Amino acid sequence: MSRLATRWPCCRRSPAVDPVAGSFAIVEEPIDVGGLVSAAQRPDCGAVSTFVGTTRIDESDEASVEYLEYEAYRPMADRKLEEIGAEIEERWDARHVSIVHRIGRVDPGEASVAIVVASPRRGPAFEASRYAIERIKEVVPIWKREVWSDGYVWVGSQVGTRS
Amino acid sequence: MTQGSIRVLFFGAAADRAGVREAEVSADVATLDELWPLVEQQHPDLSPMRGTLAFAVNGEYARGGDRVSPGDEVAVLPPVSGG
Repeated sequence: MSRLATRWPCCRRSPAVDPVAGSFAIVEEPIDVGGLVSAAQRPDCGAVSTFVGTTRIDESDEASVEYLEYEAYRPMADRKLEEIGAEIEERWDARHVSIVHRIGRVDPGEASVAIVVASPRRGPAFEASRYAIERIKEVVPIWKREVWSDGYVWVGSQVGTRS
Repeated sequence: MTQGSIRVLFFGAAADRAGVREAEVSADVATLDELWPLVEQQHPDLSPMRGTLAFAVNGEYARGGDRVSPGDEVAVLPPVSGG
């Protein structure tokens, strides 16, 4: 954050002194959501919108989901996250964008994805974070399977070992 | 990898159906549409999924008519389900 930018509290951007900050990552460990939010706070932004996707447990009569397991096609998936960041930058005045997706085993209630967008105003921050999660579900090569007490199912393909 | 072959990667449900995560196709093919029957021949259990699959060549989404060349990496991608 440069001192020059702090003297411009309006919505104008000056990329030369104030490039969009943030990070795009695929991680195998728990996501530090608080750290991502703290890193996004800046004096020229009045809004930090955060979306956290968490693993939800489904149940049927006889069985229940024990955990989810994610896999990614890397480095394509990493690059797609960065592309979503670039798309956001084109459409909104977002000055900090972080998108972090976890892979591997994710236990119930834990974060599988976190999106943090800082903008001078709340409207763009909300819209951009919504856009990011919808785009992730369209274009980022990541897959999850639900591991049930009686087998597993690949979400979206309905292929697995559950009868 | 054998020189001149195409490396085919399988993910998610496609890896399950193929029974492997990776295969090599060394035939002389020019496009994804020409490559697919050879992949299917090696891994017939993939056939029922064909309509749901997307493809990437060297890490970028590609369509059936797009070119593939020896040394390329082709990824077989079931419907993505991130988030």
